[in-house]
Amino acid sequence: MSVLLEVTDLVAGYGAVQVLRGLDLSVNEGEVSVILGANGAGKTTTMRAISGMIQRNGAVRFGGEDITHTSPNDIVKLGIAQVPQGRGTFTDLSVSDNMRAGAYVRKGGAAQADLDEWYEIFPRLQERRDQKAGSLSGGEQQMLAIARAMMSRPKLLLCDEPSLGLAPIITQELFAILGRLNAERGLSILVVEQNANLAVKIAHSVFVLETGSIVASGTAEDIAKDDSVRKAYLGY
Amino acid sequence: MAHLLQYVLNGLANGSMYALVALGIVVIYRGTNHLNFAQGEMALLATAGAWWINDKGVPLAAAILLAAAIAFIGGGVIEFGLIRPAGRKSPFAVVVVTIGLFQGLNSFTSLLFPKVGNGVKFGTLFPNKPADFFRLPGGAIWRYERIGVLVTVLVITGLLFALFQKTKVGLAMRMVANNPESAKLAGVPTNRILMMSWGLSAAIGAIGGALIGGINANINVSTMFGVFLLASAAATLGGLDSPLGAVVGGLSLGVIESLVSNYPKNWVASTYIGADTAIAVAFLIILVVLLVRPSGLFGSSRVERV
Repeated sequence: MSVLLEVTDLVAGYGAVQVLRGLDLSVNEGEVSVILGANGAGKTTTMRAISGMIQRNGAVRFGGEDITHTSPNDIVKLGIAQVPQGRGTFTDLSVSDNMRAGAYVRKGGAAQADLDEWYEIFPRLQERRDQKAGSLSGGEQQMLAIARAMMSRPKLLLCDEPSLGLAPIITQELFAILGRLNAERGLSILVVEQNANLAVKIAHSVFVLETGSIVASGTAEDIAKDDSVRKAYLGY
Repeated sequence: MAHLLQYVLNGLANGSMYALVALGIVVIYRGTNHLNFAQGEMALLATAGAWWINDKGVPLAAAILLAAAIAFIGGGVIEFGLIRPAGRKSPFAVVVVTIGLFQGLNSFTSLLFPKVGNGVKFGTLFPNKPADFFRLPGGAIWRYERIGVLVTVLVITGLLFALFQKTKVGLAMRMVANNPESAKLAGVPTNRILMMSWGLSAAIGAIGGALIGGINANINVSTMFGVFLLASAAATLGGLDSPLGAVVGGLSLGVIESLVSNYPKNWVASTYIGADTAIAVAFLIILVVLLVRPSGLFGSSRVERV
């Protein structure tokens, strides 16, 4: 199993505030990695550092290529798509324009077939394709965010707390979809979650993040067996 | 009846000028959510440049296009050199910078083209001899030049609409305006898009300024003051983020202005009612429209659910 994303000794923050203090993690090709962590542990910062949205030090390698100093738009072109926290919907654009926005890095009309495919997977989006995306419900917007990210045909999907603000049943549906994307398409996924139970179910590897560095990591089974982690994050 | 039609046509001519400047305001507002107070003066500088190039012997149409191309670059430079650094501080800093630009570009125009400071003759792209007009049924006169300017306004609007709705660059502009963070995550080079919005707006300003110069047969350093005031009102009336709104806003403002400044005068033969009253009435109408529709006639109202 080859490593798709490898992050070593990542240091990042906002101005003088250092949030990540030497973080290591990896995502294998075709696998799901989950980062668990409490509020303020640095989960979102990790995502933003990987996608190049903030200054970072250390090493980020993607598919063997060093992308530590690559710009966000080039990182998207290389095949990393991010569903940001809060979904990042283009609220004033129609649903179909949001989908086109997701395919921005792709050339020409190649995206049309994908568009039809995602509408088939998410029929609600097709029903509402001419509606302003801001008028969708939270769950629909989260589906849109995933479909939008997938329109760029990523090799790696970064999901920043997809369950935020969603009803439990929608969250379940959401993780089922992420699990299927991984199983059926071999999509590699890195998910940041507070809702550990659901996330760990679809995960191959789990990383536990505390105040800016990884304090425990292992396969999903290992982590589920680790008493301290289980009590702190899985709640049983 | 002939009077009415004539006043409407006169109003459309002035309204075309407001619409041209309003279009530039809308392009920047759509792209960056900033109101550019220097829109009129950007147009003035570019128009002065077109005059200078034309004065050196280049045909007027080529001079205007050349000036528009230079303005496109200049607009990008302004965004990169002034607006972006200010925007990192605060959105209010940007407003202050555009007000500073308003002053600065005006003085710079006089400095660079001293003759424009005193006013120079400006040519027109359209037939403009005394006999170049249609006589409409009823006797109203519609000059070819005014038709030409109106058609240009409509063509530019159509092109802008196509740019925003049908092209990738237009999609990127809408993405950056709506959610810069997500636009970046989708792979849009946001800085380049912002520069392009400013460049595009400056180029439209150059063409607009040249047409305004043509209608007035003259440009000088104060040409744009009044036009900008009404153009910003027109853009607000139209909804600030809609090119169509800018045009409808501009044209209706022109027509209202023309009707109000002519009609009461005929009825009451009073010297108290004139052009100034017209502007007051126009602004009153805008106020009422905005009370009923705060996002303007064609502006997009924000919809957001969480």
